[in-house]
Amino acid sequence: MTSAWSYRPQLLHLGLFFAAYVLGCGFAQALAIVPGTGISIWPPSGLFIATLILAPKQSWPWWVLVGCLGELFGNALWFHSPLPAAVLIYAGNALEAMVGAWLVNRTLGRPVRLETLREVLVFVVLGAGAAPVVSATVGSATLAWFGIFSQTFLGAWPLWWIGDATGVLIVAPLALVVIQNWKRKAELSAARWIEACAVGLILLGVAALSLGGYLPFAYIIMPPLLWAAVRFEFKGAAVTLALLALITAIFTISGASQFAGNAENQRHNQIMLQLFLAISAFSALVVAAISRQHQLALLTLSQSVEALRDRERELSQIVNMVPVHIRRLTPEGEPTFFNKRLVDFFGFDLQQLNRPGTSQLAANIETLVHPDDAPSLLQAVRHAVATGEPYSMKYRMRRADGVYRWVDGRAEPLRDEGGKILQWYAISIDIDDEVRAQEALRDRERELSQLVDALPVHIWSWTPAGKLAYVNKRSLEDLGLSKANFEDTVRVAQKLVHPEDAPEVLRASANCLKTGDAFMMRYRRRWKDGNYRWIEARAQPLRDQDGAIVHWYQVSIDIDDQVQAEEALKSSKRQLEQMIDAMPFNILSFTASGKMTYTSKRYLEDVGSPTADIKDFDALARDVAHPDDFPTMFQRASDGFATGQPFVNRFRRRNKQGVYRWIEARAQPLRDADGTIVQWYIASIDIEDEMRAQAALRERERFLWQLVETLPAMIDCAAPNGEPVYRSQQLREFLGYELEELDGKPKSRLNGTLDAGVHPDDVAGVKEQYAHCLTTGEPYLRKHRLRRFDGEYIWVETRAAPMRKDDGTIVQWNVICLDIDGEVRMQEELRLAQERLARASQAASLAELSASIAHEVNQPLAAIVANSHACYRWLSAEPVNVARAKITTERVIRDANSAAEVVGRIRALFKQSVENRTSLSLSGVIAEACNLVAGEALRRRIRIDSDVEGRLPPIAIDRIQIQQVLVNVMRNGMEAMEAVAGEKSLTVRAHCVGSEVQTEIGDRGNGIEFPDQIFEPFFTTKENGMGMGLAICRSIVEAHGGRLWAEKNEPHGARFIFTLPIVGKAAP
Amino acid sequence: MEQTRPIVAVVDDDPRLLESLEELLESAGYAACCLRSAEHLLARGLSDLDLLITDIGMPGMNGFELRDIVNKARPELPVFLVTGRHEIADQGRARGISGFFRKPFDAPALLIAIGEALQKSRNGG
Repeated sequence: MTSAWSYRPQLLHLGLFFAAYVLGCGFAQALAIVPGTGISIWPPSGLFIATLILAPKQSWPWWVLVGCLGELFGNALWFHSPLPAAVLIYAGNALEAMVGAWLVNRTLGRPVRLETLREVLVFVVLGAGAAPVVSATVGSATLAWFGIFSQTFLGAWPLWWIGDATGVLIVAPLALVVIQNWKRKAELSAARWIEACAVGLILLGVAALSLGGYLPFAYIIMPPLLWAAVRFEFKGAAVTLALLALITAIFTISGASQFAGNAENQRHNQIMLQLFLAISAFSALVVAAISRQHQLALLTLSQSVEALRDRERELSQIVNMVPVHIRRLTPEGEPTFFNKRLVDFFGFDLQQLNRPGTSQLAANIETLVHPDDAPSLLQAVRHAVATGEPYSMKYRMRRADGVYRWVDGRAEPLRDEGGKILQWYAISIDIDDEVRAQEALRDRERELSQLVDALPVHIWSWTPAGKLAYVNKRSLEDLGLSKANFEDTVRVAQKLVHPEDAPEVLRASANCLKTGDAFMMRYRRRWKDGNYRWIEARAQPLRDQDGAIVHWYQVSIDIDDQVQAEEALKSSKRQLEQMIDAMPFNILSFTASGKMTYTSKRYLEDVGSPTADIKDFDALARDVAHPDDFPTMFQRASDGFATGQPFVNRFRRRNKQGVYRWIEARAQPLRDADGTIVQWYIASIDIEDEMRAQAALRERERFLWQLVETLPAMIDCAAPNGEPVYRSQQLREFLGYELEELDGKPKSRLNGTLDAGVHPDDVAGVKEQYAHCLTTGEPYLRKHRLRRFDGEYIWVETRAAPMRKDDGTIVQWNVICLDIDGEVRMQEELRLAQERLARASQAASLAELSASIAHEVNQPLAAIVANSHACYRWLSAEPVNVARAKITTERVIRDANSAAEVVGRIRALFKQSVENRTSLSLSGVIAEACNLVAGEALRRRIRIDSDVEGRLPPIAIDRIQIQQVLVNVMRNGMEAMEAVAGEKSLTVRAHCVGSEVQTEIGDRGNGIEFPDQIFEPFFTTKENGMGMGLAICRSIVEAHGGRLWAEKNEPHGARFIFTLPIVGKAAP
Repeated sequence: MEQTRPIVAVVDDDPRLLESLEELLESAGYAACCLRSAEHLLARGLSDLDLLITDIGMPGMNGFELRDIVNKARPELPVFLVTGRHEIADQGRARGISGFFRKPFDAPALLIAIGEALQKSRNGG
């Protein structure tokens, strides 16, 4: 019930509804002209339906309740029906209202304005036709049941139905108008008001006349009624119908109406009245609705026209506003319309170009389109016109200022429903900036592309999915690939990577694709020649504004040469290190601040790795240098580091075994271009052996000095100019004074010594030779007498030799004086002996001698021959040249004498002079002869075995001649052994045999082939011999009274034997 | 008009022989150019010579060596070798050489040989 309560209408409305309902009941009572029926026009039914149509359905109980109260009140006042009958009748009325309202609302939907013909017809059929059936049936049945007014059901029903229908037709529209326009102001103009009043007056007049009986029939009222309906539509119809009903009621009640009359006609009149009202209402409503509909249509039309006009204006503005050139063409392609923009663009109206007899299209295109584009455009347009296909192309149009601008032109046909082309619409959009921008872009792109291709790098781009999207030309050229090869990109990329690098490259690239991190790797890529080259590949993602990766760009730079160079550098560094390690040096390097940066392998092997806390030079030096050497070496190193000068240190360094060894360390700074020291390099070499050698050398020097001092020789050292600087003890003692005692005298040390010491006979020669040697640097050798401290002159042999530096300059003269006094005296004797021997020696080789003799003789002989022949010629000449002949003759005499002298000398040589014979022992003669041939024997590697009896008796001999014999025979023996391979020995024996001394000389040669002939003159077995030697020897021996013969030696060789008679024993 | 006399050079370390040969050559109408050693001759020059007579045994450069040098410098120049040492003359290298004379030599034969040699070289030249 709360919901019903909440839908309660305003009390005012309910009260008004109650009043109107009661009034309607009264009105019905008044019009019930058929007494006793109680049935008449029933206005409350119209009110009820109109109310329920407009009221919400939920509030209907309220209206039903109030309507019930109103009807019961009316029943009490006028109808006096029994209460049950009254309630039943009301129930029929309420049911009628609800059914009618429900049907109308359901069919038309809310709100019902009754403005169209359909609405009116629905309202009339359902509300005024169908709904009263309910009320008529219920009411007629009630009347019949209760027997009120003795009505039968069939007799009451038509009256009831038509009464309710008329009520609905007349009241409901009025009620709807009143309720719906309750608060609206009247919008009628003054003319309308006057018209309304005029219609009202006419209606009243006509009604009065027709109903008053002055006019033959009631329906004359229709024209004003319809006028009102036409002019004032629904409202006019409602109001006039209400007025008509009132007037009819008034006249009917007064009985003046046609519908009043006698009792038997009452029923008929009643129906006529109701029909009249119903038809009037129906007609008026229909006309009003038609009028309304017409008005609405008119209104809609005018509004549409207005809207269309606005639209057209808008479109026209748009057409001119949009930055598009628009033209319209006839189906044949001739232009008929140009929008303002196009006209502005061209700067004149294109109609001006229109020339009769020519196609305007062609004229326009020729004039306004770029000559390059005009033919193709014309063709395109004509093609489109011919086929009906749209066209689209880009071309250049000339602007008012003469500049051609690119436009994008398109045309589409407008077709009717049958597909026939009505019009062509063509537009062109200025795309000049765009085209130029595109051209610029293309240029830029081409530039970039050229740049990309010109760069000596490989540029690839990848999609975010890892597909290869672009490869620059250089890549293709270098790698020998066509673009088609890149279809299976991953596989190709894999194939190009060196198999050793591929797994890492793939892993890294996959990772980068996943994470979006930049990619950077060095690896080998295969070139078209099949060689792998090192590249450095870098890939970066290009991201859009949202950070999503659009593309990957990869740049690969050929770094093969660089890598090779690095490899070579590494290799060369390795080689250098190996070389360093191979050299017997230890190499260290330090930074300018002294921090250790490098230690050669050899150093580590020799010295051992420095401990962890040793990181710089100072610490290392403290650690390894001998404590005794450390201060000096450290000072020197510190100075070197401070000044940047190279330095050398010699010190003892502890090696791995803990042994200190001498080293020489040389430090050298490496400077950069600015001269700043980059590194210090220290190369150290083991000089332990050298140091030992030096020590040994010093020791040796001391030893040598001692040797010099203790030698039994006198030693003197002199400056290059000859001035003595040192004398050995021996010399000092010999001379009897110290060297220093010579200083401070007018004479130099040298001259002082020489003048005082050298024998006066020798001093000049000594000075001269010594000076010569000092000047030339030749070694000096001279024998002279030197004064001893006791004043005696002693023979010495002085030798001096210069001591030179490498470059040859003389540093010092070293002089040695040997006491040769004994020797000299012995040699003096020897010399005398040799002088004697000399002659023998001269004769010794008689073979050579004879050749010399021949030469000696032949020389003067040849001169004599020549001179004498010359003399002959001078004398034979014409005239005789006596002067020359004389000279030549003198020369002949001289040369002949000279030849005679030679012969004399030879005779003297072989003269068997008895006066030269002396008595002496043969042993001395043999010894002298052996001495004479000793040198030759030594040269020929022949041993001389001498076996001479000690006490040989003296014999009288010419010493020289016998020596000649000995030497000659000995030389023969030696020469005989020339070709012998084995041991060579010459045996000399001498012994007494009876009264003779027998001397044998045996050799081990090949023996004598002709033992008898060899002693004959001019017999020789020698190449150069004259065959005189043995003949002479035999003659000498025989001259001494002896014999000379040859025998065979045992086991081989020859033996020459000669005998000489012992003095006194021989015959005189 | 005196005809230009052929120049004959004589090299010998014995002044007596030089004198005698100079005399002989001049007496035969040659211009003699006497020199004490091979070195002297080389120092003097060979260009104007028509014939050379040289001793073999000399201190310093010997006659054979001199002859070889002269042959090289002037192959067409006739050279006579003279020696007092007959053993040299017997040696292999001296054998079969024309213009070889032993001291003492036959003066007319020498002059004839000179004349022939000069004639030959003149014809040859």
